[in-house]
Amino acid sequence: MTSGSANNAYRRRWLEFLAPLSKTWTVVLGIAIWVLFFGLWETAVAAGWVNRLLVPSPVDVLRTLYELFAQRGFLSDVGISTARILGSFLVACAIAIPLGILMGSFKAIEALFNPFVSAWRYLPAPAFIPILLMWFGTGEEPKLALLFLGVIFFLITLIMDHTAQVRTELIETAMTLGGTRWQILWTVVVPAVLPSIVVAMRQMLAIAWTYLVIAEIIASTTGIGAMMMRARRFLHTDDIMAGILTIGVLGLLFDVMFRWLYRLLFPYLDQGGR
Amino acid sequence: MPQQTMNASPQAKLQLEGVSKTFRVRRGNDIEAIKDVNFSTPENEVCVLLGPSGCGKSTVLRMVAGLEVPTSGVLMLDGHPIAGPDRERGMVFQAYTSFDWLTVQANVEYGMRLNGVPKKERRDRATHFIELVGLAGFAGAYPKQLSGGMKQRVAIARTLANDPAILLMDEPFGALDAQTRWHMQEQMMRIVEAANTTVLMVTHDIEEAIFLGDRIEFMSRHPGTVHEEIIPEFKKGHRILQKEDLIGLEGYGDLERHILQLMREQGGDDSGH
Repeated sequence: MTSGSANNAYRRRWLEFLAPLSKTWTVVLGIAIWVLFFGLWETAVAAGWVNRLLVPSPVDVLRTLYELFAQRGFLSDVGISTARILGSFLVACAIAIPLGILMGSFKAIEALFNPFVSAWRYLPAPAFIPILLMWFGTGEEPKLALLFLGVIFFLITLIMDHTAQVRTELIETAMTLGGTRWQILWTVVVPAVLPSIVVAMRQMLAIAWTYLVIAEIIASTTGIGAMMMRARRFLHTDDIMAGILTIGVLGLLFDVMFRWLYRLLFPYLDQGGR
Repeated sequence: MPQQTMNASPQAKLQLEGVSKTFRVRRGNDIEAIKDVNFSTPENEVCVLLGPSGCGKSTVLRMVAGLEVPTSGVLMLDGHPIAGPDRERGMVFQAYTSFDWLTVQANVEYGMRLNGVPKKERRDRATHFIELVGLAGFAGAYPKQLSGGMKQRVAIARTLANDPAILLMDEPFGALDAQTRWHMQEQMMRIVEAANTTVLMVTHDIEEAIFLGDRIEFMSRHPGTVHEEIIPEFKKGHRILQKEDLIGLEGYGDLERHILQLMREQGGDDSGH
């Protein structure tokens, strides 16, 4: 805002280095880019710049999305996809969290597992799809296995690194207060690393969605990805785009949930997750 | 209770004999950080390890804490050899060590919780030591809400509440601004008087050493060893609670000058090495 005061000699320009931006403007600009995006899209379709069959208008997509949920039982697909994500992600966390903490705490455990974990990290999970299909057929198992493989090794490494970064002085303080190894692990290392673990889980859950869609597109008759592949056969581009939109919204919901969880669990950190 | 454990110093609380520490940097390239350190501290005294940076004073303190292992020599507390970290040698670090996830009260209770002190006693002792360090109104606060000086007072209270035989401090006021440090030094003096505890403290601040120390072990570098034991006789065996009273005393200026000269001789600049 420009002030009428003659004393105000400071120039206020757009795009100033290091200058903060007010909350209102941050929100306004964040919405503006989406308005621009959908506006251009709608205009392009309405003006006939693109083939309506290949690019439906945003209004059509929203109408289709409503129909999918209201009349075509899409909710069960969404439910199945979400259950797959949560199921495999929880199993991955149940292994990665204790293992990562132990690897980050004790050098011998790191030396044993890290060469194995690091190697697996460089193998792209989708490379295992053919063999997973041969082993498990087309049931739930190959999807869960793909999600698990895609997430667990990164999760272990992230948690190990965060645990190793727990400040030495905190551990040594507990040692000179008479703590046993087990006590120090539970009362210093775990609480100190927990906020970072929640952040790591949030990041890896986003990756899990990627693998979910890959699994459902390649080998599934249920779930959001499968619905999109069916729609492709009948040139239902509006269905496909509604699917993409749903995945985006779900991903965002999980992200918001994790931020909320972070604030709920760690009020003493006085700032939310980034 | 004086106990005849050593011929040299009958009432020594802490005693170091021929303590050396060698770090292996590369094969065949050992660095002798600490060489033949000998000194002892009587009960209820404040002993200060003073010296230029790189003289290994923190390494000596960490060996007393049991966090480093000496290459040779013996360290004894109350006549028993030191074999590793233990609650009887509680340490306060230069870096802030408050546990962010615990309130001030829970931080101070922490050591007692580890050692199975009953809940009621834990709470009472914590309250006592929180008051002693002047944080009475902050028992329910989290460390993120406290200033640096307050965090250090939490660490001191936490260590004292755990009832150690000796309090170890590694430049505890080094990270604080000048005014806070000065205030903390005076408060430390009162706490030591009230808690009646033995203290081994590392510093490179000469004024702090003279103010707090009942005895000063001055260490030299290359290799690190005790160069001179200094007892500030001019304080006449009683503790001074305010820094300005110290500076007025006859003999203070001479001692400070003497230590400054030692610092210059022993510290020098690193270009010579």
